[in-house]
Amino acid sequence: MTSTSTPEAPTLIASLSRDRVSLELNTYDLCCLAGLYLRADKQALVCFAEEELVDLFEQICEVVEPGAENPRKRATHAIQRLRDQRMLHRVDGAGLTRAGDFGISRLAAAVVEFYLTDEQLTRESLALLTRTLASQLVDIRKAAEQAETDDAWHDQVASPLQVTVGDLVAGIERRQRGLDAAQEEVQSRITELLQEDWFGAIARSEDLLDQTTSTLNELNQVLMSDVHQLTSLLQEIQSLADTAEQEGSQDATQRVQENLDRITSWGRARQATWSEFYQNVHRYLRDVVRLDPDRALSQRLRDQITGWSQQPFYLTTTAAPSIRRLRPVEHRVERPPVTRPSGPRESEPEDVDAEDRRRILEALVLEALAAGENKLSAVTAHVLAQLPAERAFGTTGRIAAIVADLTQPRAAREPAWVRVAGQLEIEQWTLEHDREGRG
Amino acid sequence: MSSTFERLEDVLLDDLFPDVDLDLRRGRHIGQDDGPVYDFLLDAQEHLEHLYRRFGAELVQRTDGYFFLLPTNDRLGRRLLSAGEMLVGQTMALLYLDPSTLQHNRTITRELLLQRLSSLVGTEVLIRTLNPRKRKYDERVAAKTVRKEVDKAIRRLVDLGFTQPVEDDRLQLRPALMRFAETVRGADGSTDALERLIASGEIEDGERHDEHEDDEEVEA
Repeated sequence: MTSTSTPEAPTLIASLSRDRVSLELNTYDLCCLAGLYLRADKQALVCFAEEELVDLFEQICEVVEPGAENPRKRATHAIQRLRDQRMLHRVDGAGLTRAGDFGISRLAAAVVEFYLTDEQLTRESLALLTRTLASQLVDIRKAAEQAETDDAWHDQVASPLQVTVGDLVAGIERRQRGLDAAQEEVQSRITELLQEDWFGAIARSEDLLDQTTSTLNELNQVLMSDVHQLTSLLQEIQSLADTAEQEGSQDATQRVQENLDRITSWGRARQATWSEFYQNVHRYLRDVVRLDPDRALSQRLRDQITGWSQQPFYLTTTAAPSIRRLRPVEHRVERPPVTRPSGPRESEPEDVDAEDRRRILEALVLEALAAGENKLSAVTAHVLAQLPAERAFGTTGRIAAIVADLTQPRAAREPAWVRVAGQLEIEQWTLEHDREGRG
Repeated sequence: MSSTFERLEDVLLDDLFPDVDLDLRRGRHIGQDDGPVYDFLLDAQEHLEHLYRRFGAELVQRTDGYFFLLPTNDRLGRRLLSAGEMLVGQTMALLYLDPSTLQHNRTITRELLLQRLSSLVGTEVLIRTLNPRKRKYDERVAAKTVRKEVDKAIRRLVDLGFTQPVEDDRLQLRPALMRFAETVRGADGSTDALERLIASGEIEDGERHDEHEDDEEVEA
């Protein structure tokens, strides 16, 4: 792993989008890259002369598309496509002066390695890898027990954990991907077999299922025993690193443990998925394929669906209604219907006499005072008795204001409330005034 | 097979009984995928057969691995599947038989279901069947209605235990779907099978269904 910092996802995505990065490789292009990679590997070459490149591509064209017209031209186009996509790069820097030398880029090598590695995965043994890992961890534990200096911890514990053990764990993960691919292939292969040969495919499908099951047994072994052993070895190393306060070794052990946890959880998930698939296929072979060797049922059902609208029928099921909960009895409430006033909303203006309400009130208050009333409630009651009832509430405050102007009112610290008209109550004041109402 | 339940009372006192009973009465099909509930039914089958017979229903077990309650009279209430549910159910049954669904552990997408349904029945017939009252229709609106009706049918089929929604909006096809293929399953011709199933009360033909459909709409 390189030490350069990884760019943030949004930055990377933005830059890929801005540069319109894309990859378009057809089978021929991929074959050319694989051919180049393998020849470079076999002959320890770092680059190819232009003529060599064209010859190789021509040969590959004859293999991939035998009888294709003008293979040289196709090779030239393929080289250009790969150059445009940075799969091939020129290494001589001579420009136009002479034919160039070309090497395959890191990107192209990664693409080819993906296919090569994927192929190798199915041949590796997961058990062998974990056993090797276990023996490495035993050595590291021994080194940890004997390590006394920081350098010893770094060289004999942390580094081997990071590099050797890291590689082995990566190998197991590759193997897992291989198993994933193999499992997926078996699933699609069984489907293909059944579609091609229906009843005749039973035996072969069962064989495929059994093969994958044995692979899963291998996985089980890893899960049940090997990973357990690896984990206990790692715990011992971790414990030694804790005692010696070696942070680098602690971190390295932790990372390996996390990878192992990932492997274990992957295994469990795949096992569950495969188990479900295994049961499903067996049930299918038993209930569908064996009982319908001519595959007539599907055809008859298809015909039934097609003609169903002409001769419909319907399945019956039980449908017990839910238990009814009766609501408490409520008397029916008669609500008055919502209406709006009919007739014109605006009334016609009419002539009325000018009225000075303040003067009328003042005259009535003076009349009450002249009659000898010396309580606000008595004055208010006297005045209100001579006015329409609907004006009582609005007028009470005005009466108090006039009384306050004409007399000298006094109120107790906590004045009493006195009813004056209907529900209307006011504070009681005592009024001091002469017969003419002057306070 | 000997049952672990000696008396009906033991069955009724089992913790699983209330849920199983309610599910069966609501028309749900209980299959092997249901695990302990199915095992309970298998174990208590003999006692429950007698119990439900008194309510006017037969506890039916099919070799595909599922149970359901078949009403023999109206005491427990009965319901007929709608046209949409029948079409969707039959198409699901066809997909259940298709080996290509094996690859995905007997799960399908709604899109695949609609595609298969449309290719089997034809768009025109599908629209007419699912919109029986519309004489004229706008293609876009009709397509929307069909999708809505299919979704409604799927929801109902989920309630009845024919299918089960799983992750990524996929639908798990369950063995009970084989009920939709019963008419074409036996060695006898489909007409004979149809008559036999009508006689047993497991299915009803179209004429009788119209009355029920109207009833349903009135209730709704």
